[in-house]
Amino acid sequence: MDNINVLIIEDTPEQSDALVKVLVENNYNITGVAANFTDALKLFYENTVDIIIIDVFLDGKPDGITFAESINIIPNASKPFVFLTSSQDRQIFERAKLTKPFSFLMKPFNELEILYAIEMAVEKFYAQTNVFMSEEQDTVISNDYLFIKKKNSLKKVAINDILYIEVEERYCNIITEKEKFVIQISLTKISTLLDKNKFVKTHRNTIVNTDKIEEIILADNLIILKGEHKINLSDTYKDFLKKMNILS
Amino acid sequence: MIQKTHNFLLLFLFFPLIVFSQKENDLNYFEVAIQKKASSLKNEINFDKAQSFFIKEEWDSTLVYSMKQLNSSPNLETKDYCHYFRGYSLKKKDLYEQASVEFNSVNKSFQYYYLVDYNIGKLFYFEENFKKAIIYFLRAETEILNHRDESEIADIYTCIGICYLHLNQFTKAESYLRKDALLNPKQVTKSVIRANINIANFYYKQYKDQQAIYYFQKAYILSKDIKDFKLKENTAFNMAVVEENRSNYKKALVYRKESEDWKDSIYNQNKIWAVADYEKKFAVAQKQKQIKVLEVENKLKDTQRNSLFFASIGLLLILTGGVYLYGQKVKNAKTILLQKNKLDELNATKDQLFSIVSHDLRSSVNALKTSNAKLSATLETKNYDELHQLIIQNSTIANGAYSLLDNLLHWAMLQTKQLYFHKESIHLYSIVQQIEYNYKPLLLDKAITFENLVSKNIFIFVDLDSSKIVLRNLLDNAIKFSNKDGKISFYTQENNPDFCDLIIEDNGIGMSENTIKELLQEGELLAKKSNSEIIGTGLGLQLCKQMIKKNSGTLVIESEINKGTKMILSFPKTKTNG
Repeated sequence: MDNINVLIIEDTPEQSDALVKVLVENNYNITGVAANFTDALKLFYENTVDIIIIDVFLDGKPDGITFAESINIIPNASKPFVFLTSSQDRQIFERAKLTKPFSFLMKPFNELEILYAIEMAVEKFYAQTNVFMSEEQDTVISNDYLFIKKKNSLKKVAINDILYIEVEERYCNIITEKEKFVIQISLTKISTLLDKNKFVKTHRNTIVNTDKIEEIILADNLIILKGEHKINLSDTYKDFLKKMNILS
Repeated sequence: MIQKTHNFLLLFLFFPLIVFSQKENDLNYFEVAIQKKASSLKNEINFDKAQSFFIKEEWDSTLVYSMKQLNSSPNLETKDYCHYFRGYSLKKKDLYEQASVEFNSVNKSFQYYYLVDYNIGKLFYFEENFKKAIIYFLRAETEILNHRDESEIADIYTCIGICYLHLNQFTKAESYLRKDALLNPKQVTKSVIRANINIANFYYKQYKDQQAIYYFQKAYILSKDIKDFKLKENTAFNMAVVEENRSNYKKALVYRKESEDWKDSIYNQNKIWAVADYEKKFAVAQKQKQIKVLEVENKLKDTQRNSLFFASIGLLLILTGGVYLYGQKVKNAKTILLQKNKLDELNATKDQLFSIVSHDLRSSVNALKTSNAKLSATLETKNYDELHQLIIQNSTIANGAYSLLDNLLHWAMLQTKQLYFHKESIHLYSIVQQIEYNYKPLLLDKAITFENLVSKNIFIFVDLDSSKIVLRNLLDNAIKFSNKDGKISFYTQENNPDFCDLIIEDNGIGMSENTIKELLQEGELLAKKSNSEIIGTGLGLQLCKQMIKKNSGTLVIESEINKGTKMILSFPKTKTNG
């Protein structure tokens, strides 16, 4: 599980310092702090960024919105972001609102509020609302990562790292090459959200990342994954084999 | 020579006699009879009309209506009358042939058939067929004599006499003409004079001068009593001729002169007529002129009336317009007055708010000032415990001032409708946690126990910031009105599938029914500040009420003095998709 990388765009040092402190305390990784539009773009393209926190006004200009607008028009580049603002001026909001999905936080804010805002931004961005706060689910699934809520913080797991998933009622055991942990999500939800060509059901409660298959022993109904993980293959779910390119 | 003159006179006299013969009498017995007949035949409108036109001597109309009557009615008697009318009218219109046809269609049994005979006789008479004429005249004679109409009798005598005269049967002619002349008319009429002239001529023609002269003289004397100049001239001229023939030239000259005089009179009369005519024409012209003048006047009057009419319409329009405008003005004034009152009220509220806010701020800042002075004093003594205490106090004061200002800002934005408002799904538990986070020091300071018992599965659909303001204010109030070691709890109740009740309960000082009523009162007026120490501006709750309303929520307050208050908020839940 990795920490989330946060890019902060804020021109007031005291405020950015406070923000950094809060986020670091809650196990977020700070990619950088940009005080202006150019720096922000530079930092955004040079680093891996998962979430951006943007002050609407940089040097008295609404450059924060401009930044959001510019990353929004590049396909697949955009990331979840949170606007910070001290003004509830309607005009600014009308403009900021166009950068969908739009989440914002009024200044001054406390620790809980910024954490909540970040979680909300992730939910909204990946269009899976009411996840982190509910008692039934704690994971948002994007194309590349699982965003998992751990206490007050968010963690991420690269989907490519997952070997297989074991489902137990409302919980899922995620097994990667390095670790094993439990997330809260239903089987139906996780199977709809994951790439169906990549993740295949091999058993009533097992989903396997096909990229990680090393060997399939049909006689024993066994699948050997990377790291010597052995998975049972049930007869009902053998169909996926037909789709695979089997070396002869 | 004399004979020639006689003949000339005779010819000259014949025709007027006939023409005038019937015109002189008014309604004769026949006309009376047909009138009676018409009134007895009420249904026969055409007959009635025919007879009335006949009496009025409007021959064309008589012809039309008698023809209608003939076509419409089978009554034989009216048929006879109608044929008679038609014959007579045609005769008057000089259509003798058709007239004779009509007269011949009259039934012989017709009551007045002798008149038919008489008229047929006249027709022959006009055609100078005197032999036939006299036959018809003689047939009619006895009946006419029976009816004792003198003019008619005189007429028929004249006709018969003249016929005999033309037939040179002088004895018979004489007897008739004498009868005619001897008919002793009560009044001197032209026909009497003419009769006398006729008989005189008759004698004269036979050179019976003695008798002729007698009748000429008689005619002459009679003519003096009438006003017809022509007759006077004729009689005088006749006398002159007679005297001349008797070689009595002196008398002849006198008569001739008289005759000339009458001629002149006629001339004069003609002249007078001409003058009269001219005068008449002149008068007519004058009248025409007057009419023209009147017409012009009328036109003038018309135009005047029209212009007056339009002017009055214009005035009326202006008046209505004026009244309308005045009404509008009054209405506007009323609206303006209402608005002014409202504005005054709002302004008063604002002023009140202003004074309260500035008072509160002043006391806050003043407290901060004194606290800071104390702080620096304490710093010198290096009493860290007290320093810590003071700093906590300062931050409390600053927090209070801040929340007041924050409320003020939001209130202003709400008033000017500048507040951004966006409803979304919100996790109520987290929000309560976030609000509570800021009040932790205050709660700790007052040793108040705080409980967030909100269900973690509740998502409400509201605007995040405005609901935060509401919760912040309500928590602030709860803390403010709680005693030391009090307890504040937030919890939810779900009585309605679409709404979620959030209850903020404290066990503080509570409030009276009246205060609750005052707080919940509709309107934008702020609740009055009765206790300056504890009760704040009222701005907070006012703001809450408006924000809740904007979020489609409701607010109910349950409170008991010294037992605590329950603020029950109701918000719409997020609609879950399945």
